[in-house]
Amino acid sequence: VKVQPREPGGFAPELNELLVRRAQRIRQKPAEDEDENLLWVAEFPVGEETYALPLDTLRAAVPLKMVTPVPLSPPHVIGILRFQGQIVTALSLASLLGGRGWREDPAVLLVVDPGFGRLVALDCERIPKPSGLPHAQVAEARARSSGPTCEITLAGTRQVSLLDLLRLMDRRQGQEKR
Amino acid sequence: MMDPLLENLLAGFVDEAQEIYERVARSMMELEKAPAQGPSFDELARGLHTLKGSAATLGLEELADFAHRMEDVVLPLRGSSKPLPARLSDAVLKSLDVWMAHLRAIAAKGQLPDLAPSVALLETVKPDAPAPAAAKSRKKKNGKGPSASETLAATVARAPEPEPPAAPTPAPVPAPAEDAQADSWRVTTRQVIALLHEVERLREVRLRLEERRREIDRALQQLDRLGIQAETAEARSVLLGVRRALGADGEEAADIVASMEDGLKTISTMPVRTAIEPLHRAVRDICKATGKQAKLAVVGAEVSLDRRVLEQLRGPLVHLVRNAVDHGLELPQVREARGKHPDGALAIRVEQQGNMLFIEVSDDGAGLDLEQIREAALRRALVPAEELANMSTQQLHQLIFRPGFSTKAEATEYSGRGVGLDVVRNQIQALQGHVEVQSVPGQSTRFVLTLPADLGSSPVLVVRCGEHQLGLPMVAVESSRRARSKDLRVGRSRVQLEHREQLIPVQDLGALVGLRQPEVPAEGQPLLILQSQGRTMALSVDEVLGDRELVIRPLPVEIRELAAYQGAATLARGELVLILRPDFIVSTERRADTGLISTRRALVVDDSLTARALHRTALETGGYLVHTASNARQALEQLRHSAYDVMVCDIGMDEMDGYELTAAVRQRVETDSMPILLVSARDSENDRQRGLAVGADGFLTKKDCVSGRLLSEVGSVIARRKGAA
Repeated sequence: VKVQPREPGGFAPELNELLVRRAQRIRQKPAEDEDENLLWVAEFPVGEETYALPLDTLRAAVPLKMVTPVPLSPPHVIGILRFQGQIVTALSLASLLGGRGWREDPAVLLVVDPGFGRLVALDCERIPKPSGLPHAQVAEARARSSGPTCEITLAGTRQVSLLDLLRLMDRRQGQEKR
Repeated sequence: MMDPLLENLLAGFVDEAQEIYERVARSMMELEKAPAQGPSFDELARGLHTLKGSAATLGLEELADFAHRMEDVVLPLRGSSKPLPARLSDAVLKSLDVWMAHLRAIAAKGQLPDLAPSVALLETVKPDAPAPAAAKSRKKKNGKGPSASETLAATVARAPEPEPPAAPTPAPVPAPAEDAQADSWRVTTRQVIALLHEVERLREVRLRLEERRREIDRALQQLDRLGIQAETAEARSVLLGVRRALGADGEEAADIVASMEDGLKTISTMPVRTAIEPLHRAVRDICKATGKQAKLAVVGAEVSLDRRVLEQLRGPLVHLVRNAVDHGLELPQVREARGKHPDGALAIRVEQQGNMLFIEVSDDGAGLDLEQIREAALRRALVPAEELANMSTQQLHQLIFRPGFSTKAEATEYSGRGVGLDVVRNQIQALQGHVEVQSVPGQSTRFVLTLPADLGSSPVLVVRCGEHQLGLPMVAVESSRRARSKDLRVGRSRVQLEHREQLIPVQDLGALVGLRQPEVPAEGQPLLILQSQGRTMALSVDEVLGDRELVIRPLPVEIRELAAYQGAATLARGELVLILRPDFIVSTERRADTGLISTRRALVVDDSLTARALHRTALETGGYLVHTASNARQALEQLRHSAYDVMVCDIGMDEMDGYELTAAVRQRVETDSMPILLVSARDSENDRQRGLAVGADGFLTKKDCVSGRLLSEVGSVIARRKGAA
C-alpha cells in the first residue's frame, strides 16, 4: 500500500477552519491569572445533582468492570478491583452521601486519593468533566460547611456540591463505629 | 567523623554481634539450670570471646575490655557441677545488654551508655580466682584480641576443675566483615522491595501468557468447527506455532519467577529465630520478677521472614509473651493445686502457608476471665454497662485490644498501664495483618497473628457460589465429595453429613456469606470437607472450579475487618477472587453472633452492582435482610429455595428483563402473591403500565430511589398485597 502524504488543502474548508481554530487555541498562552483564581475540579452528576471533587485528588477514571463484589461487606462497598497493582475498594458515592437516587446506572469508577495514603474508587454515572470553581467562592462555602460537601452556587444559579473526601470517609467510619 | 570503611564494617558487626548476643544469653539461661559445662558453656565462652576479639579488631577497645571482664566472671566456673549462680548470671546478662546498647550507639553515632556501673557490677560477682594469664595475653598483638587458642589455654588454666581432654575447640573467631568490600554490597531495603514488586509483575505477565495461550486454543477450536479448509490452513499453522511458543515462554517465565523469588528470599529474609531468641530472656526475667515458672517452646523458628516484618514483630512478640506470663500463667502453687505442672507451658508456633504467615503465642494458664474483663471495662468506662451485658464471649475477648484496657488495678513493671494489646494490634495492622484471641477458661489462651508475606504463593481451591467465585486455602481442605441424600441427616435447624463414621455439620457457603438462605445440599452437589482449629465440617458449594497457585494479598483497609476473608488474589484474567478464612467457616461462635434478628426479607434483582449496593443500603436501613441477584435466572434460582417478603427488580436487564421475570414469578404458585416493586432508569408511563400489567405491585424510577422513598414504596407494595389478600 502506498501512503499518500496529507496535503494541506486536502480537507473540506469547514474542517480546515476547525483545525486552524483548534491549533490557535492550543497555542494560546494559558490565562495564568484566571487559573490562579480557580480550583480545578472534576464535575459529575449524582442523580439530579452535580458534584465535584478537586482534580488533584483524581487519579483515574476507569470503566466500572472487573469489580469483585465482597459478600458481607457494608452496603456502601460495591466491591474490590485492581488498580496499578493495588487492590482498591470501590464505594458507592450515592450510598456514602446517605442514599441518593440516580439517573443512570453508574458505569465509571473514579480512582481518588482522599489524602490518607491509599486510593479508593467511587462510582459515577458519567465520565467527569473538568471545570474551574472560583477559589473565593470555594473558600467561603468551605467555611460555611462542616459536612462532607459544600454547596457552591455559580452563575445562572447552577449549584455544585464540592466533595471533601476526607470528611466523607471519616463520616462513614464514624457511622460504622457507632 | 568515622572512616566510611569502618562504618560499613561496624554495621555488619552490629548484626553479627546481635546474633552472638542472643546465643550467649540463651546459653547463660540454660546454665542457670544445668551444670556449668558441656556445649552450652562452650557456646557461652565462644560467644564472649568472639565479641571481645571482633570488637578489638574494629578498634573498639572499651567494648573489647568489657567483654573480657565478662569472660573473667564466667570462665573460671567452667566445668563446675553446679549451675551458674543466679546473681552472677543476672550481672552478666545485664552487662551483655549494656554491651549491645553501647555497640548500637557507636554505630548510630548516638549517646553512649556508661559502662562503669556494669563494670562495677561484674566486679561484685567475679569469682575469687584471678586470671592473670588471660589479662596479659589480651594486651599482646598491638591491642588486638587474643587468638582463640590463647583464650582456650587461659580458660583451661583458670578452670577450677580439670578440663576434660576432649574439650571442643572453639570456632575460629571470624574477622567481621573483613571481606565485606569484596564479597558483599550494601543494598537499601527500597531497592530490594522494588525488585520484589518487579517479580510480582513478572508473575502476572506469566499468568497473562497462559491466558493468551487459552485464547489461541479457543481460536483454534473455532477454526476446527469451520472444518479443514485451505483458506484457514495457514492461519491454523501460525496459531499452532504461536501456541507452542507461548507455552515455552510461559514455562521459562515461571522458572525465572521461581529463581528470582528464591534469590530475593535469601536476600530479604531472616529466620524468625532471631526475633524469638530474645524471648527466652524475657520469659526468664519476668518469671524471676513475678515468682512464676515457665518453659518456652518454639516450633517453626527456622521459618524465614522478611527482615522488615521481623523487625516489626519483635515488639508485639515480647509483649504477648510477657503478657502470657504475667496475666496468663498462675503461680506454681496455684497451678499444682489445679492439677497442672508448676512450670507453665508457653508455646510459639510459626507457620507459613503460601504467602500467609501465622504466628501463635499460647499459654496453658488460667485463660481469659470474662468477669474480670467486664469489671475492667466498666471500671475504665470503655463500654456502657448495657452494651457490656449483651456482648458475646468473642466480643468480650475483643475488649482486651481496646486502648487503656487492663485487668490489673495497679501498674507493675510489666503490666497494668493499659498500654499493650492495643499497641500489638496496631503494629500487626500496620503490617496489614490481624490478631485474634481464643481462650478456654482455666486452661489456655492463644493469640494468633496472621500476616501477609511478600513472597510465595498459596494453593487455593476456587469454588463458585451463585455468581461469586471464592477461594479456600487448600491447607484446610481435607477432601471433596458429592452430596448423597443417604449420607445427609436433615434436621429442623441443621444438616449433618455422615463422614467416615462420624456426623459432621454441613454449612451452605452461600448462606455463610450472606448471599442466600441456607440450602440443603442437592443430590450430587459438591461438598468440601474442611478442617480448621480442630473442627471438621462439610461446606456445600455450587461448583468446584479447580485449584490454583495464588498470591494472597491483604484486603484494603475499608474491608480488612471482615472476619470472613484472609485476603484476595488475582486470577489469570486479572479479576480478583476473595480468599475465605477456614477458621471463619468452621467457627460456631460466629453463627451464634450472626443470629438474624431481621424478620423481613427482600430480594434485589439488578444487573448493576452499584444499584444493588444502593438498594441494599436503603433496605437494610429499614431493617430488611437483603439478598441480591444480578440477573433474572439467578433470581428465579433464589426464589426456588427461599421465601421473600418483597422483590425489588430492575426492568432493563439482559437476557430476561424485569417484565419477563415478574411474569415468570407470578406463574409460580409459591411466589404468585409476593410483592414486587419494579425500578427503572426511565421515567415512562408506558413502562409503568406494562409493569403493572405483568403483575408488579409498584413502579419507581431510579432517580426517586432515595432511601426514604424506596422504603416507603416497598412498605406500600407489601401493604397493598396484604390488603388484597
